[in-house]
Amino acid sequence: MEASSDGCFPSVTISSTEQSSSSPPPPSSSSSGSGGVASRPRPPCRCVCSGGAGGAEGVTAAVCAGIRTGSPDTGGSCCGRVSGSCDVTHVSEGSEVGGRAAPLPNGRPPSSSSLDETDTAGRSSQSQPEASASPAHITQGPNREEEEGHSRCPSPPPKPLPSSVSCDSAPLDPGDEASDEPQRGERRFPEACLGSRNTFKCSRQQSAPGQPPQGGAGGGAPEAEPDLETTLQSRRPGIVEYLGRGVFSRKQSSGSPSVAGFKLFGKVPPRESPAKTARTIQQEYEARHSMMAAGSSPTHHASGRSRKNLEFEPLSTTALILEDRPANLPAKSEAEAQRHRQQYDEMVAGAKRRELREAQRRQSRRQERFRQEESIASAMLVWNNHILPHWDAMRSSRRARDLWWQGLPPNVRGRVWSLAVGNELNITAELYHIFLSRAKERWRNRAEDQADDGESSLQLITLDISRTFPSLCVFQKGGPYHDLLQSILGAYACYRPDVGYVQGMSFIAAVLILNMDEVDAFVCFSNLINKPCQMAFFRVDHQLMLRYFGAFEVFFEESLPRLFLHFQSFSLTPDLYLIDWIFSLYTKPLPLDVACRVWDVFCRDGEEFLFRTGLGILRLHQDVLLHMDFIHIAQFLSRLPDEELLSDRLFACIAATPMLSGNRKWSQVLSSVTKEAEKS
Amino acid sequence: MDILWQYQFRIILLGDSTVGKSSLLKRFTDGIYSDVADPTVGVDFYARSLDIEPGVKIKLQLWDTAGQERFRSITTSYYRNSVGGLLVFDLTNRKTFDHVREWHKEVSEHILPHHMVYILIGHKSDLNKDRKVSRDEAEQLAAELGIRYVETSAKCNSNVDRAFELLTRDIYELMKMGEIVTRDGWDGVKSGLTAKVLYPAEEEEEVATAAAEKGCHC
Repeated sequence: MEASSDGCFPSVTISSTEQSSSSPPPPSSSSSGSGGVASRPRPPCRCVCSGGAGGAEGVTAAVCAGIRTGSPDTGGSCCGRVSGSCDVTHVSEGSEVGGRAAPLPNGRPPSSSSLDETDTAGRSSQSQPEASASPAHITQGPNREEEEGHSRCPSPPPKPLPSSVSCDSAPLDPGDEASDEPQRGERRFPEACLGSRNTFKCSRQQSAPGQPPQGGAGGGAPEAEPDLETTLQSRRPGIVEYLGRGVFSRKQSSGSPSVAGFKLFGKVPPRESPAKTARTIQQEYEARHSMMAAGSSPTHHASGRSRKNLEFEPLSTTALILEDRPANLPAKSEAEAQRHRQQYDEMVAGAKRRELREAQRRQSRRQERFRQEESIASAMLVWNNHILPHWDAMRSSRRARDLWWQGLPPNVRGRVWSLAVGNELNITAELYHIFLSRAKERWRNRAEDQADDGESSLQLITLDISRTFPSLCVFQKGGPYHDLLQSILGAYACYRPDVGYVQGMSFIAAVLILNMDEVDAFVCFSNLINKPCQMAFFRVDHQLMLRYFGAFEVFFEESLPRLFLHFQSFSLTPDLYLIDWIFSLYTKPLPLDVACRVWDVFCRDGEEFLFRTGLGILRLHQDVLLHMDFIHIAQFLSRLPDEELLSDRLFACIAATPMLSGNRKWSQVLSSVTKEAEKS
Repeated sequence: MDILWQYQFRIILLGDSTVGKSSLLKRFTDGIYSDVADPTVGVDFYARSLDIEPGVKIKLQLWDTAGQERFRSITTSYYRNSVGGLLVFDLTNRKTFDHVREWHKEVSEHILPHHMVYILIGHKSDLNKDRKVSRDEAEQLAAELGIRYVETSAKCNSNVDRAFELLTRDIYELMKMGEIVTRDGWDGVKSGLTAKVLYPAEEEEEVATAAAEKGCHC
């Protein structure tokens, strides 16, 4: 832990240092860095007795302000010299909010064990006689960011101590001390990471092995860096980044799952209210602060508040401790000190705000998800009980149409698609099997006869299947649906040699396979491809395709005139983006779930909806597109960005696109375009 | 978004399905390679700039076409507006090599009276043990067609940049000689914002002067 000698920033120290004696050295021995490397004096152990072992509660030999203390002879994480009567329950400062007491020396669980996160010292069950944790002492220098504390934590004290998490269990070797383990508790709570607001915590989680050994999580002191680094490196790849001053930058925290921010210790709100220990620790801090005349004890507020609103407790600030500059350095001027206090306050406030915001965001996301699930469940009931049993009568009812627009519940989807697409071609299961065996025969023959001229459909199918939705990993060779996809496409190619297999079909068949069984998928596929629009495209009937594009452009100009002109100025014709979209029925440009919703309404409304969706997409991204040039637009439209709530936003745009030109609808426009084309 | 460019060349990739056109492009423009990717349906677009000479930046607009024969009728309209074409075949698939002639023929016929600058690409050179087309054969074909030949591998990033650079340079040289010019209604070559338009006459003059200075009397 380096002392914040730079003096440019408020020195917030969280350092774990070994304190060999019970008498706390001058508080500002932030220079203690721990770590044996440094020749600096260790900060005092500030372990607070939680009274567990019969000692007097609240008595501190030294305040474990995240300092991993310990001396060689005690072998414990704490300085061990807590006033003789008390054993062990040394609560690191970090833990106070969490209210966890340090583990008792004999491994007795701390009296107030808050769950997880509070990593404080050593809640972990440790049977270490030594106190557990010394909260990491994070000294903040100019370049130091909280991460430093992070880093320190994982510093591996050489002695593996069963102590819980906290770093302190660490070794008391002067050599490896270095660290404060800010988050001792973290190691033990891998689950906390998920959604933990504490970036640091999460990182620590990752980096800290389950065992306490290596001490204290505390990051190594800079001096100890090399050692720590190596050790940490060997332990876990991620830890290294936490090492060292200067290595840390605010950005580090953004690497962790939680919101980037100023989170040193961060603790997930304890399920139980922190008990006295926290209070005690608070007092400790107060005392220390007043002793050090640091002036501010914002953490006090933080912790205090934490007890009130567990839900949104900004825990990340608990580890931010403003301390006085070490005594061995020139003192700050009052103005400077004042400024530092102010900056410190702002930091803390900022951290809290961020945390609150993140928590709120998570909350709203959760609620949204819940709402969605509810609506799907209720929709399913309606479909199953009212609409499907009376399909012909109900399919055009208002209720059905509305539900349809909202998106078919996944387990009803296959049936509705099947029913909606229908079976005009009167394909039976028998027919399917006949063509399937024909296809299989041809495949077998082809294998023997290498002279294959030209690109045969069957050959191309084989090549394309593995390229279908590779991210889903189900259609690749050896995957569960590989053969199924091949069967359906092969059978279709035999059934309709006039169409054969065209690239793009694999996506359609794939989506059907994902939603219904083999025969139904084949029936639905065949009938779907048989629809006029699909036929025109898959047979690559250029003339017909141009007519569809023509009609599309009429509505394009009508609903998005500015964008239309913009595209026209580049000669960015519809074929350059619509082909990809229509061929794959939007499964290529859109994420699968959104594409399925498009299919839902396509089943309801017919081909018009495909073009309406195209306009919806253009509308959705209108602003961005208006600022792009040809090649960028073209690229953009073939690789549409995914975003949160894409489905809803896209459908809102589609809804805002009435397919009306004058008072002509799609089919009318299409036929008039056709007539014109025929005339010329 | 766009750095100033002098010229923009539209280049199209041609070749059978699965020879690796898309991979080649992805490697060239994004620097990435993936064993599996979606089949191209219709046409895909890529872009990258090359500094051909100090002070001359060429923006390449790359059109990746679907290889399936079925799509030819759509893609032929794209040939007309391209100035350069990469004829790609798969070194491990004899058939794709045999089709190169057809591709070349079809495209050339389609764009008459103009012409396109081609380069022959033998792709997937990393799969040496599965090679079905020898270098000699390919070079022979290239000579016949009057074009260069390069063997590339998107997977190993071998010669990918070089292939595009050679083609671009060839086009640029032809431009300097006046064989290729920008023209209205043709998207093959476009001048950029800081275009230093090369007028063939001027160029020749400069060249002549330079030559004279050197003492050449040809």
